[in-house]
Amino acid sequence: MRISPVDISRRLAFGAVFVVALAGVAAAQTAGGAQPAPQETPPPPSAPRSVAVPRPVEKSLKNGLRVVVVEDRDMPLVSAQLLVRNGGEVDPPRLSGLADMTASLLTKGTKTRTAPQIADEVESLGGVITSNAGWDASRAFVNVSSPKTERALAILADVVRNPVFNDEEVERLRQQYLDSLSVALNDPGSVASYVASRVVFGDAPYGHPLSGTPESLKLIRREDIVALHAKYYRPDNAVLVFGGDIRAEEAFRLAERLFGDWARPAGALPAEAAAAKRDAAAGPAARRVVVVDMPGAGQAAVVLARPGISRTDPTYFSGIVTNAVLSGYSGRLNQEIRIKRGLSYGARSQLDVRREAGPFVASAQTKNPSGAEVASLLLAELGRLGNEPVLDAELVPRKAVLIGGFGRSLETTEGLVNQIASLALYGLSLDEINNYIRNVQGVTAAEIRKFAGTRLGATDAHIVIVGDAKEFLEPLRKQFRTVEVIPLAELDLNTAALRKSAAGAVNK
Amino acid sequence: MLRRLPGLLLLACALAAPAAPAASAQVAVPPINYRERALPNGLKVYTVRDASSPTVSIQVWYKVGSKDDPEGRSGFAHLFEHMMFKGTKNMRDEMLDRLTEDVGGWNNASTWDDYTNYYEVVPSNYLETLLWAEADRMGSLNVNDKNFKSERDVVKEEFRARVLAPPYGRLFYAIERRSFTAHPYRRPGIGSIEELEAATLEDVRSFHQTFYRPDNATLIVVGDFDEKQLDGWIDKYFGRIPKPDRPLPRVTTKEPARAAEKRFDETGPNVPLPGVVITYLAPPVAHEDAYALKVAESILSAGESSRLYQSLVYKQQVAQAAWATADLREDQGLFYFASILASGKQPSEAERALLAELKRMQDEPASKAEVDKAVSQLVTNQLRERETNNGKGDALGRAAVLMGDARRVNTDIARLQAVTAADVQRVMKKYFNDANRVVINYRGEAAPPQQTTGGGGNSR
Repeated sequence: MRISPVDISRRLAFGAVFVVALAGVAAAQTAGGAQPAPQETPPPPSAPRSVAVPRPVEKSLKNGLRVVVVEDRDMPLVSAQLLVRNGGEVDPPRLSGLADMTASLLTKGTKTRTAPQIADEVESLGGVITSNAGWDASRAFVNVSSPKTERALAILADVVRNPVFNDEEVERLRQQYLDSLSVALNDPGSVASYVASRVVFGDAPYGHPLSGTPESLKLIRREDIVALHAKYYRPDNAVLVFGGDIRAEEAFRLAERLFGDWARPAGALPAEAAAAKRDAAAGPAARRVVVVDMPGAGQAAVVLARPGISRTDPTYFSGIVTNAVLSGYSGRLNQEIRIKRGLSYGARSQLDVRREAGPFVASAQTKNPSGAEVASLLLAELGRLGNEPVLDAELVPRKAVLIGGFGRSLETTEGLVNQIASLALYGLSLDEINNYIRNVQGVTAAEIRKFAGTRLGATDAHIVIVGDAKEFLEPLRKQFRTVEVIPLAELDLNTAALRKSAAGAVNK
Repeated sequence: MLRRLPGLLLLACALAAPAAPAASAQVAVPPINYRERALPNGLKVYTVRDASSPTVSIQVWYKVGSKDDPEGRSGFAHLFEHMMFKGTKNMRDEMLDRLTEDVGGWNNASTWDDYTNYYEVVPSNYLETLLWAEADRMGSLNVNDKNFKSERDVVKEEFRARVLAPPYGRLFYAIERRSFTAHPYRRPGIGSIEELEAATLEDVRSFHQTFYRPDNATLIVVGDFDEKQLDGWIDKYFGRIPKPDRPLPRVTTKEPARAAEKRFDETGPNVPLPGVVITYLAPPVAHEDAYALKVAESILSAGESSRLYQSLVYKQQVAQAAWATADLREDQGLFYFASILASGKQPSEAERALLAELKRMQDEPASKAEVDKAVSQLVTNQLRERETNNGKGDALGRAAVLMGDARRVNTDIARLQAVTAADVQRVMKKYFNDANRVVINYRGEAAPPQQTTGGGGNSR
């Protein structure tokens, strides 16, 4: 909501900054069509310097809590994240948003601190505390200057271990969620993203909005929240990650002091949630083309979506390199849609890897009359990737983009902690952080073509367009035999049918 | 170079720290140790060596911003910024992306009201390459009708994405238009579709000639480099760009003081909850009172313990979001209060609640703990910004270019830490009077008449 109107950038920001040096990437210049021949060529690079990737160390407490520390002493800042290995995927079908509400309520009151006290104590340290649920994980996070680490961490431990979920806070948060959702449901980009998840996952987990629907939020009771917390927030289902200006021994000491007596429940860990277990070989369901009509919308949000892969899929590195060919500023989608045709401020794709196969999503916002054209451009690029090999002249730079972006993500304590937490969450070796560059470099053009052809088939991809339908419906219907048109007021995110009047809607 | 206090010392502080939060309110921020040079052609240069990672941030800041948009060409400085990534004498279109993105680096540029900055982060062995490229686009621009029209379409999409598509885009778009009457700040930097359409290729060439010159630019390099080698490259590539003898046009229009409260109603489609923004003219960014205004902004607005969140969102629940922004600029500042309402609430309720919080700031001094908290938040944010080479460059650029004094990148922190509750109360009384108020109410348009869309909303 806090949008500063003063800073307008050439492109949306892609995050913090750090770069891994790459040997032998020539910034060659070719003659540029009708433009006059250049008189000077750029000076070539000198020899690159190698990069030291930080080495995480770890230890498990007796109660099963895994503690990971990665030191980076450049700035007097520390980030710490307590990660619980379940999130929105365990929401019961009628109670979308339960895991996220539960996580958000951690900072809204404990046995000894009220919500305003928690905020005041952390902010008085100059710190930030947040908690929320994602897919596969719930998190509480603090970032603070290093002299304040112990006091901030004591509050982090308190909110994770001792939340009270009092009724007043539950009602207040429910109302805030409903209001935020009413704003999101009037933004074409957000609506398209919600609808895409339903279209890809149907009524299975990952299909619902992480922060709930207008109907589900009203059904969530305090008992549901307390039960979810009791079931999943336990030391043997959690990881504590420290990053930044803190020595490993000191971090382990703090973990022991603040989490050492967090009792491990007698019962076994809950079985891993039956997330969207789709047989990748079977491929996705029949293509749907869904239009949500939002009269007066300032743009059409165009999304192409289909199931992708899980984080632990052996083709993971092929997948992220394939995605890098498509996405990023000079990726194929932005080349075709923005740079060549001026149809959008930005086109991008994301291979969203999760415990089970997550979605692959390609998207762009464009003026309403261009909605159908942008959809077919997105589809065409996906198809081309499965049919034609990527040449080295393109592949080498796209790998560089990926490696550079990975390096930049490690430059802030927060980014460092997120990378380590993600490896820990999916049970991957923390050493993978040191193998990333080699793994990306090892992907071949043949592997990309195979990945694009078998895992990202364009013919299976669903299409969602949210915007002023009268502006793009006619050309869209010329391209696709069956187009579902749902007026915004009729949209029901609780069910794969997506339509309020449809039979079989839940919550009846 | 002392980049931070030794870790052991900090650790000792943490362990010994008593429970009272005020005891260690002051966070130590490592100074940015920059070197300053000027070339004979007027280019100012600031460099900071930091070899902790093999990367370097290169930034060129031009003293030209949206306030310099030509008359009838609102949005032009920003459109021009996009064109700086097209061809130059020695570079084909988008070659800057080849030299950055393709080698694992990154680039971007931002157009602000008072300046425009271009920046890239690359592996440090590409430093010379990028200095050459930045100098090349300062010295020449090679644009044509085709890439101009295509990029203008991109900017029109950017306008739609920022202003027309988001439910509150039109509210934020109205802030400058309603807050300024004479100064060019009245024209939003993103422009308008009509005035973007009016721009020509000739405007692009003339803008480059007028403003993109060494004596209107500041080069900042932060990261891994050899000082002697760097100086040599800067002399070689930037030194050869001539300093034009034409004068640099500067905005001289003064925004007159406001005489009486003004109220405006704005509407947009698909607006689920009303919004309200209350703006006041404030001093320029480099003014002495700016420190206390930043602390006031933080007390009102930073985090969930802030006064506006606690009062409007948490206790009264009249708002879904509430915040204050000290939008201080080179010529004239703006300070505004804003709120998106909670469902079922009226804009008048939010307006009353915002003004009550303002009055509280004027009537009684904030507690010492509250001022310490605000300062601690501001200073820790500085630490976060300075985690990266590019962030350090940004901080240095704002001091050198926007404030006109590079030393402030290091001295401003102590000035913030010296702000007292009495200072905050004084500036709140000084600038926030009824005659200096503009109120913008924002709500959804009446539901449009029912239209049939193609197949009447049915699937086939």
